[in-house]
Amino acid sequence: MTTAANATTIAHLADAPAEDRLASAIALVARQFPDRTAIVANAGGEARRVIDYATLAAAITKLEGELAAARPVGIVARAKRVESLVVIAAACGREHVPVAFLAEDARDLVGELRDWVPLDDSLTLPAGAAAGPRREFETVPPQVVVATSGTSGPPKLVDHSWDSLLAAARLAEQWHGRGWLLVYDATRWAGLQVWLQALLTAGRLVVPASRDPDLVAKACVDEEVSILPATPTLLRRLIASGDRAAVSTMKLDRITLGGEAADAQLLQQARELFPNAKITHVYATTELGEVFRVTDGEAGFPVEWLGRPLPGGVRISTRRDGELLVQLSRDTAEVATGDLVERRGKRFEFTGRRSDVIVVGGAKVFPKRVEEILRGVPGIADARVYGLPSAITGELVAAEIVIHEPLPSGTTPDQVRSAALAVCRERLEAHGVPRVVDVVKKLTLTAAGKIPRR
Amino acid sequence: MPPLDAIIAAVRTVLRDTGRDARTIAPEMLLAADLGLDSLDLAQTIVLLERSLGVDPFRAAAATPRPTIRTVSDLVSIYTTALATPPSP
Repeated sequence: MTTAANATTIAHLADAPAEDRLASAIALVARQFPDRTAIVANAGGEARRVIDYATLAAAITKLEGELAAARPVGIVARAKRVESLVVIAAACGREHVPVAFLAEDARDLVGELRDWVPLDDSLTLPAGAAAGPRREFETVPPQVVVATSGTSGPPKLVDHSWDSLLAAARLAEQWHGRGWLLVYDATRWAGLQVWLQALLTAGRLVVPASRDPDLVAKACVDEEVSILPATPTLLRRLIASGDRAAVSTMKLDRITLGGEAADAQLLQQARELFPNAKITHVYATTELGEVFRVTDGEAGFPVEWLGRPLPGGVRISTRRDGELLVQLSRDTAEVATGDLVERRGKRFEFTGRRSDVIVVGGAKVFPKRVEEILRGVPGIADARVYGLPSAITGELVAAEIVIHEPLPSGTTPDQVRSAALAVCRERLEAHGVPRVVDVVKKLTLTAAGKIPRR
Repeated sequence: MPPLDAIIAAVRTVLRDTGRDARTIAPEMLLAADLGLDSLDLAQTIVLLERSLGVDPFRAAAATPRPTIRTVSDLVSIYTTALATPPSP
């Protein structure tokens, strides 16, 4: 098995300095198996592109040469193509040049990176980029700057070391050489994690041409994706609206959920559809990186995790109001995460983000809870609950619902909507019942693939 | 749509959405006593009217004292005024 051969050699790379690892791993695979596919871009689309490891390695070497000659203060990755982002990251790491990835909504922050040199898909340094003051990087750890997603406040730039960026990128050999789906924005923390892990394990990164659930499902089947990292919202959309036949032929071995809390309903659906998949739920924030992961396929985390050190020395606790607090190590301060948890039996389950809470006439409504009720209504495939400003009550609960297609004959979307309201009236207090319910083709999502709450 | 028609349609939707009877709705009727509307119902009505009429006279009203709204007619006059006033830039 070629995969096994790679895996063994690649495992040794874990000892290389973190900033060298991406370039080294790609070069190693390129030497042994030059034609092996590294990236399938625009999968499922007209302009499908295949990039092999040799091509990637050659582009990295070329850019390394340019960086070594010019020694810019830093590089702002302006490239749109995933393969270019990979090349930029690998070459900058190898050459100890700081690199910044700015997602679309964080482009304005480029002003904070004065004198950094933009690099686009041409992968050629602009003329005159040469010779900023030659900096000594021996003392400063080479850094990677990533913008936060702006889910909770305007985007801001966060510095990471290569070590922290790759902290989660160690995977057992059985996961090497696999097909990975990239549904995240490649310039964001979550997206970076996916392509780094895929390429550090001699894998094949599959980037679908769009987030359309039918297209994604088909791309997963055609490109033999076996590892699917996604937000619960994106997975739910795939399961609820993706082409039935394609979804049921998907052969997933690993599903990694992150970015939002995964509810019991979704986890159960995923277990039923993909009985062979190992389902992991990662709890991470852009500021803290990965905090812990839950691998038992249940919602939330076990009660006994509170107050005892977790792998990596992390300690978690809760405030009186249920907000989750995290202390990464003994030497670091406790950080309030903004995520609320509630004890249900032997688990702590996530009830939502503090900033997601909708306040209606002084009473709190947890949108996630309302969504779970709506999704349980026959005929509803998916739902989003958010707050609408109101001069009378401060806010009002509003919802978007996606109707199952096809509905049983004789049932209309309007009947499903009425039934949903009736169920909500029965199970929620008056202020929690959505007052505006729109039937939509697909839910409004953020660029990071999460549910916007306002 | 004339404000009165829009308001009647919105109140009817609110009553139907909340599982109540949408009987006759007339201008002189009291929103609370006759139609049984509470503050949540009123808030929903205003959102629905913003969609059908394109204005929310209550949003900009923070600075001005909130007008008394007791009857369907009160709502009609508020919306008629708002629709006649050009939107502030």
